Amino acid sequence: MRLVTSRFLENLKMAFDTLRGNKLRAFLTIIGVVVGVITVMLISSIISGIQLAVEDQIKSFGTRSIFVYKMDIGIRFDRPSREERMRPDLTLEDALALRELSEVETAVPFLNASSGWWGNATIISANGKQTSNINLTGTLPEISVAGTEVVLEGRWFTQAEVDFKKDVCLIGETVKETFYPNESAVGKTLEINGREFRIIGHLEKKAQLLGDQDESNTIYVPFGSALRIKPNADDVFIMAVANEGRIAQAQDQIEDLLRTRRKVAFGRPNNFSTATADSIIDQFNSITAGVAIAMVVISSIGLLIGGIGVMNIMLVSVTERTREIGIRKAIGAKQSDILIQFLIEAGTLTGFGGLIGLAIGWGLSLIIALFFPSYVPYWAPPLGFFASVGIGIVFGLFPAWKAARLDPIESLRYE
Amino acid sequence: MENSNTEDGPNASSAGTAMAKEESLILMKNIWKTYQMGVEELHALRDVSFQVEKGDYLAIIGPSGSGKSTLMNLIGCLDSPSKGTYLINGHLVSEMTDDELARIRNKEIGFVFQTFNLLARATALHNVELPLIYAGVRASERHDRATAALESVELGDRTLHRPNELSGGQRQRVAIARALINNPSILLADEPTGALDSKTSVEIMALFEKLHAAGNTIIVVTHEHEVAERAHRVITIRDGQIEKDERIK
Repeated sequence: MRLVTSRFLENLKMAFDTLRGNKLRAFLTIIGVVVGVITVMLISSIISGIQLAVEDQIKSFGTRSIFVYKMDIGIRFDRPSREERMRPDLTLEDALALRELSEVETAVPFLNASSGWWGNATIISANGKQTSNINLTGTLPEISVAGTEVVLEGRWFTQAEVDFKKDVCLIGETVKETFYPNESAVGKTLEINGREFRIIGHLEKKAQLLGDQDESNTIYVPFGSALRIKPNADDVFIMAVANEGRIAQAQDQIEDLLRTRRKVAFGRPNNFSTATADSIIDQFNSITAGVAIAMVVISSIGLLIGGIGVMNIMLVSVTERTREIGIRKAIGAKQSDILIQFLIEAGTLTGFGGLIGLAIGWGLSLIIALFFPSYVPYWAPPLGFFASVGIGIVFGLFPAWKAARLDPIESLRYE
Repeated sequence: MENSNTEDGPNASSAGTAMAKEESLILMKNIWKTYQMGVEELHALRDVSFQVEKGDYLAIIGPSGSGKSTLMNLIGCLDSPSKGTYLINGHLVSEMTDDELARIRNKEIGFVFQTFNLLARATALHNVELPLIYAGVRASERHDRATAALESVELGDRTLHRPNELSGGQRQRVAIARALINNPSILLADEPTGALDSKTSVEIMALFEKLHAAGNTIIVVTHEHEVAERAHRVITIRDGQIEKDERIK
């Protein structure tokens, strides 16, 4: 074993000597590998960064939360189908019914009273400014239990304020920045479609992804008040909070109850959907897995081109060093010695390219991390390195085999 | 060990000779080397037989095309005969695989070439170490032995020079140090002075005599009579056959 390692180190040393003797050629040969590894590093760090950010954001909705909506929840690239859009809306009563379930601690409805796609804008003004571009949501006091929003200053509305449809509201960080950037907003007022609402709370800024809609650009009002602002509002989203550790059971109960309430026939699929933070993260992960496969394919092309370069240069090298091979064989090198020598040389060449690629890729991903959520996942550097070495060995195999098979007499005669 | 193998082999008669001449370092019996040139067969060696005893100093001489290079390649285990039996130091070489031949070349043969055949990029020390690398000798021991070998050819102060920093004579001495590093049975030299001026040639031949005096078996293949005359025995090859085999000292 000791002998094997010493022979390996000896070969490694010879390989380095050879590479040092042909610096420019070695460098040109490994460019393909370098680029391939940089690609792996960059794409993997960007994907990992996005993944982490998405997980953080989804987790911020709570690990006990179950989202219920009439259309399918999750990350989607297609538009909702006609069947989905035609489904009956969820209602306040649905939310209240869910609260009766044994595994559900509470359930909160969110009524969307924002500006619609066509006409009937919800105009909000205060402090001399006016906009319709704010999410207006009607909800119930139990939102405080859900823990998805944190009150920075002030308080949530009370059941009484809900029952009497009081004109009070809590505002997100972005809304505060819009109307009351340099002062406390609590106690001030804002006008929604001409009605004056008292601001009773100011919410903490929510985690946000690049390009995602701003979750902090939201005003919460009591459910009934929202209906008064927009009487035809019917788009209800429910968030249920399961008992600790009972999220799967709660999800089952919710689905059973809603099927009954929405009269879904036995054997028919749900005409609503439920999701948990975990299920959405899973869904996202399956998407990034697809992207990761695409990444592997793309960087494989770079590595493949690098590998062909390596094969080419190793073939040249074998021809150039025919005499050296003859000498080595004359003084006792076996075929396997020559084969291993050239394989190690090829592997060292590309492994070196891999290390350069790792260094550059790491540097670039640190720079990218300044602008975009990204970090180098633990598996990327070893993958990049071993893939590089592997490319060298695979594409070095044919040249090395050719070298090993050379006839010693012919090789010694070679000029 | 190989001897006992041949006893019941197809070459029973030659094995008998091998047993009788067990002391012979080299035993060649009815060696043929045939090359296929298209449909024609070219016999480079025809029925060559001879023995070399341990400690001998033999010159093989002959004009170009006589088959002496072919014979040298066979003696050096770079090639296998088409027909016949070849034993070196008791090893039956004529039926060995490539890897076994490589091992014999490593342990039993020390080559000295006309053009030195040193690795250009490697230092003198590394060149001398190479056979030990393939013999699987550990690095520290390798270094010590190679240094000692270079000192014995009076190149102790040139160990870290590369071949292009050495004179022709010095290069050939590095090659001789390399040839001797594994204590081979035979020092096999192919036109060792062919690329050297006459003064250096004399030095190298003197070194050969010194090595012979120290107990090494030396075989020199050459076409120069001055070189052959230094040997104790001369075999003349012509047309693939031994024309003359005479002891001159």
